[in-house]
Amino acid sequence: MSDNETDPQTDGSGPGIVAPDDEVPTWRERKERTTGLSRLTYEYFERARREDQNLRQESSYVERDVLGFPAWPHETIRNLALASFFTGMLLFLSAMLPPHLGDPANPAVTPSVILPDWYLYWSFGLLHLDPLNPELAIAGGEKIMSDELYGVLANVAVVTAIAIVPFLNKGGARRPVEEPFWGAVGVGGVVFAFTISIIPIQEMFPFPVDITFDLAFLLPIIGATIAYAVLKTMREGYMYDLNKRYYRLRPPR
Amino acid sequence: MSIERKDEHDHGAWLAERDLSLIEKTYLMTLIWLDKRFRIVDYLELMEDMYYKVNLQMPKSHTEQYNLDNKFWYWYPLYALGSFSVIAYIVAAVSGALLGFYYAPSTAGEGDPEAYLQIVAIMKDLNFGFMLRSIHRWSAQVMTAAVFLHMLRVYFTGAYKEPREINWLIGIILLSLTMVFGYTGYLLPWNQLAFWAGQIGVEMAIAVPIVGEWTAQLLFGGFSLGQPTLQRMYILHVFILPFVVTALIALHIGIVWMQGIAEPH
Repeated sequence: MSDNETDPQTDGSGPGIVAPDDEVPTWRERKERTTGLSRLTYEYFERARREDQNLRQESSYVERDVLGFPAWPHETIRNLALASFFTGMLLFLSAMLPPHLGDPANPAVTPSVILPDWYLYWSFGLLHLDPLNPELAIAGGEKIMSDELYGVLANVAVVTAIAIVPFLNKGGARRPVEEPFWGAVGVGGVVFAFTISIIPIQEMFPFPVDITFDLAFLLPIIGATIAYAVLKTMREGYMYDLNKRYYRLRPPR
Repeated sequence: MSIERKDEHDHGAWLAERDLSLIEKTYLMTLIWLDKRFRIVDYLELMEDMYYKVNLQMPKSHTEQYNLDNKFWYWYPLYALGSFSVIAYIVAAVSGALLGFYYAPSTAGEGDPEAYLQIVAIMKDLNFGFMLRSIHRWSAQVMTAAVFLHMLRVYFTGAYKEPREINWLIGIILLSLTMVFGYTGYLLPWNQLAFWAGQIGVEMAIAVPIVGEWTAQLLFGGFSLGQPTLQRMYILHVFILPFVVTALIALHIGIVWMQGIAEPH
């Protein structure tokens, strides 16, 4: 058996691997010897790790011994059940409400109402903002940009506005009640998405076209104002008391 | 004395000396048989590692952590919308792959275009075809709706805030790509809706100065709708977008996994 012990073993023990001696640099030493960007990277990671560690040690947030349910089977089976239920609902919907297939494409026949699928109504509505396109008589009384370009730019502006939200709104607030302003902005945005969607079909409403157009911009402001008032009241009122415990329990940032 | 080498690990004898049930014995025999061929033992450590990772105790969910059990219906159900859009996306992918077997992106033909006739054939002649198209259409609709609502939830619970800006931006891109997915998709049947929606798209593209005409050429294959448009929408819908969107969804979820679900309600 003594012979066997000197043989290389499949589990990696035995003399197959050369044991590290004192001259072989450790990983830490190797990293510390590097220069330039890799040195910088290493130093940053070391600092970041230390900072994180200090924050954890200073934090008054108590981690509990028993943390929750295990991933298997509890969480997995719950998630499978939810996924199956949702897929089942999808199939049920498909069976109950079969899709409509309209007439074949015909360039000769223009439909009375041209619309995209429902989720692009807002975008299509933004293409119909010609009345807002400023007419500046610099170059022979022509508009600076075409109405179509104006609509496309409106689309870009809306998407950009949504995209920069995280760079404008900082802080740890997580509820509309905590920040009535941003809650109101959100409500205004949702209302605007609906009202801008009816501009392409404004002729179908029983009152003058101008009024529909103005309402598309007024209603979001009204909605936002109401939302702001309601959220302010809620914050001053009972919701705040109700959630005091939740505010106290939040771990420090 | 036999020339055959002595078996140091006589699994047969080892099996015989143990009192095993039929299931245990079958399992062990299978394992040994497979191990001889595939060296499973070498991967045992990996498997062990995986086992313990799977059985890790999950952190307290925020309802538990903040003792919000009594407020479950306040926001919590809306936290499932992201997963719902992924599930709807998977259903759409599977049904779409099946539909792809029967569809041809062609505007050729006397009278009705070939693509339209194919859709009619799928709905009328193909066994289960009506249901298949229905599933694809509805899962796409539901995915789009879920993605929009998911964005609203993220907005109103402030989940886009500080360390999560990148994921918000990826989300915006994914939302836009979902709409492009839908757009290229409902153009494929080449019905009136498809044609006139395509017309809107071409006009939007041409309206942009400098790059507009080039974009119209690239995406729609020209300034008026026809076979090249349908061809390009088809390639976008079944070849380019699936890869891009799947990769972005994986990245999106990977970042959520890394950073954790945003607290709380």
